[in-house]
Amino acid sequence: MQKEAVFTDLVREHQALLYKVTSIYIDNKEDQEDLFQEVVYQLWKYFDSFRNDSKITTWMYRVAMNTAITYIKRKKRRPDSVPIADVFIKQSEIKDEVFEERLRLLYRHLQHLNTLEKGLIFLLLEGKSYKEIAQITGLSASNVGTKISRVKKKLKTNMTNH
Amino acid sequence: MEIEELQSAWIQMSQELSQQKKLTNEIILDMTKQKYQNKFTMLTKYETIGAFICFVIAFFVLLNFGKLDTWYLKVCGVLTLSFLLILPVMVLSTLKKIKNIDITNGSYKENLKVYLKTKNRLLKLQQVGMAIGFIGLLFIVPVTSKIISDKNVFLTNLKVEQYIIFAITLVVLAFFCKWAYKGYQKITQSAQDLIKDLE
Repeated sequence: MQKEAVFTDLVREHQALLYKVTSIYIDNKEDQEDLFQEVVYQLWKYFDSFRNDSKITTWMYRVAMNTAITYIKRKKRRPDSVPIADVFIKQSEIKDEVFEERLRLLYRHLQHLNTLEKGLIFLLLEGKSYKEIAQITGLSASNVGTKISRVKKKLKTNMTNH
Repeated sequence: MEIEELQSAWIQMSQELSQQKKLTNEIILDMTKQKYQNKFTMLTKYETIGAFICFVIAFFVLLNFGKLDTWYLKVCGVLTLSFLLILPVMVLSTLKKIKNIDITNGSYKENLKVYLKTKNRLLKLQQVGMAIGFIGLLFIVPVTSKIISDKNVFLTNLKVEQYIIFAITLVVLAFFCKWAYKGYQKITQSAQDLIKDLE
């Protein structure tokens, strides 16, 4: 029971993190909920394997992102999907049109990236250092730096063209 | 839009999200439970479609039961109806039972015990269904032949082509049964693993 309580507190505290991981890879509400559930299950499954040699959020990012990657490989995208930015806007109580538009643009630009690029830019947007990104992704810090600068260039080109 | 603008939109979204604490302990635990139920949803869908087809055929046989004019064809008719009605109902009710095991309540040991018992019943039913499926050809073919083309196969000499078609049907049926049974085993095993994970 103690383990259950610790786990549920952890998920509740970091639900925004999990939501963001699911939103970066999936662009429709139904699959996003399904993935969210899969992530929670995988976290529970491997909860015992978490060792205190890294931050709990680092471990959560790693499990959630790996689960998402496995999920999208397995799942075919539905043609009638709802863009994730719209899902977020409907869920939230924000009535800021400028912010809504920026959010839509943000997700539109992110959709042009491949799986690895999405993961890297997501962690960068989350304010993670290259060292932390390296810990989460398993890449070397220098490799992370190189890849991120490429992704930034790609994003910039994309943003200039649209 | 610049990258810095992306970042500020992301930060604003993160702040909004962190204020929305929608999940409760109950919902989180339900997520693992839902995961378990999902494993059987697809099986239930296929079995429901199968059961519907069986019921339609049974209805058709029942409507034409009068055409079965000898005692042995009547016996075949009753056996066909039993096969088409009883087995799908038993499979669906067992699937419902296995789906409804509440894996988040009760002790691990109790859940696993109930699950294993129901799982064995489900697999046994599939085995029985397959065995009857093969034997069933012996009573389903005469009934359908009599109803559709008014031929009593017990009194008709079959042609070589008909024997070949019968043999091919048996082989295809054997492969289909093997494939379906493996699928069942895989799903039930992964659900069992899920229960073990909750230990």
